[in-house]
Amino acid sequence: MYLALKEMARSKVRFGLLVAAIALLVFLILFQQSLQNGLITGFIGAIRNQNSPVLVYSVDGQRVIQGSVLTPDLEAAARGVDGVGEVGRIGQGTFTALPTAERLGGASETFDTSVIGYDLGEDGRGLGSPTSLSAGRYPAADNEAVASSSDQASGFDLGDTIRILPGDEVITIVGLADDAQLNVTPTLFASYTTYEAAVASANPDARGLLPNVLAMAPAEGTTPEQLVANVNAASPDLDALTRADAEANTPGVSQVRQSFQLIFLLYGLVVPCVTGLFFLIVTFQKANTLTLLRAVGAPSSRLVGSLLAQVALILGSGIALGALLYYPISQQRLGGIQLRFETSAAIFWAVLLLVLGVGSALLAARRVLAIDPIEATTGAGVGR
Amino acid sequence: MNALELTDVRKVYTMGDDSEVVALDRASLTIGSDEIVALVGPSGSGKTTLCSIAGGILRATEGRVVVADEDISAYSEKELTRFRQRMVGFVFQSVNLVPFLTARENLLVVDELGQRRGKAAQQRADELLEELGLADRAKNLPSQLSGGQRQRVAIGRALMNDPKLVLFDEPTSALDTKLGEQVMDLIRTEMKRRGTAAIVVTHDERILHYCDRSVHITDGVLAA
Repeated sequence: MYLALKEMARSKVRFGLLVAAIALLVFLILFQQSLQNGLITGFIGAIRNQNSPVLVYSVDGQRVIQGSVLTPDLEAAARGVDGVGEVGRIGQGTFTALPTAERLGGASETFDTSVIGYDLGEDGRGLGSPTSLSAGRYPAADNEAVASSSDQASGFDLGDTIRILPGDEVITIVGLADDAQLNVTPTLFASYTTYEAAVASANPDARGLLPNVLAMAPAEGTTPEQLVANVNAASPDLDALTRADAEANTPGVSQVRQSFQLIFLLYGLVVPCVTGLFFLIVTFQKANTLTLLRAVGAPSSRLVGSLLAQVALILGSGIALGALLYYPISQQRLGGIQLRFETSAAIFWAVLLLVLGVGSALLAARRVLAIDPIEATTGAGVGR
Repeated sequence: MNALELTDVRKVYTMGDDSEVVALDRASLTIGSDEIVALVGPSGSGKTTLCSIAGGILRATEGRVVVADEDISAYSEKELTRFRQRMVGFVFQSVNLVPFLTARENLLVVDELGQRRGKAAQQRADELLEELGLADRAKNLPSQLSGGQRQRVAIGRALMNDPKLVLFDEPTSALDTKLGEQVMDLIRTEMKRRGTAAIVVTHDERILHYCDRSVHITDGVLAA
């Protein structure tokens, strides 16, 4: 450590630039990690954070709630399978909505808004409702709703009213749920009747509204996976999924994940490459010094230890600085996406980049191990 | 106790075409505990090879090498590294100082690599710098020192581990005549003060009078 720290103290600019480069890359990684998670949560948070263990779509719906329509015979087939405990209807539509809170000064803009209708049950926690609330209460009557909390500032706060356009259907927000958006739009969880009224308000000619999806809970002794298998066996036109599968198989989600994973892979290569090349260059530059130290009795292991200590310190500093830079950004919203400082992601990347960075420095370490102290008598060093 | 005993030492290098080059041929040399010996010979004569074998940087192909009663002939690489830490001081011809360490730190690095005596080492480094007339340059980096000052720091570093034998490889080759004489005077003074043996590799006949005796080497063979 003595040599490592002394060298770094005397070459602040050189090592500082590397710390800055790593910090910038870590900042970008954390930002994009948060962007990916925020984007996916914005797309399917309403599916991930609702309480139904199994969702039953029609095959034609291609795992999009709004695109799925369950005819009465399909609904009956699904309800009749073995292992069904509780069943509820879910309807979902995207509407033009106008927040009408007085605090907005009457100049509010309209928003595309998802309304998810479900059977409220006795306490408003029927199948399809948000798993938990961050504020307020569950709907107890028609025209009440739980809203996605990330849209509070847009007029979707507790006590605010939303008018569905065109028409006069008004919904009052009585509760807020975190991470409960669908399709990155403000999302309202209301009674199935409220959903039907919203459809009627927007399209007075609509008749014979059918549920999009069935929310199911398995009977005691049946697992969600078994229930999924039973429903899918009942009709080739039914497509039952567990909650996790419904979330993962929503069109676009896996593509978004793959795109980001490709970016992360590139970052995962760039950081160790930058670190490895830097220390390899430094090792060549100080070849004579390393040879001198070997000649006067420095064990190879001590010199390699010094090198790896520098790598760990530089990476640690870069990662810490990158995380610090990212923290204030992570408290912001990016369009409709709520960014978030994700501690577990930061720890994962810190450990991964440390391991990869130290691994990449092994090339420089090999050069150090190859030093022959006899070169001190010729001045050739490892660079020869 | 002699500082160095070389007995029938050979160093043979095998070349790429399997031919052999004899760099040192049956060299035998004994150096007393406080003797300063000049090793003189033309370029490529084997001076540096002999010095490197004596200092444990290079292993002999054959023969016996004893430094201060310690037979290093069969030492492994690790044992030679530890031996160099404890027993030998080096002043090389070209690179001698760590550029990112101050003069004082260049002395302390020897202790850091070896015994780690802490304050005792710091005290010794300060004393050496004082003796070498470098007390006011202790915090200077090598780039802030003159050639003579750098050579004096290198001498201080070579003495830091209280060695039994100090090897000087062309210590005046990069210095002008006057500075070279000053450095040789300093080497002799410091060696004699401490009762430490030294080999001074040189091809400069003018500095021989600073040594107790001269040994000539030609084509790897020591003059009788």
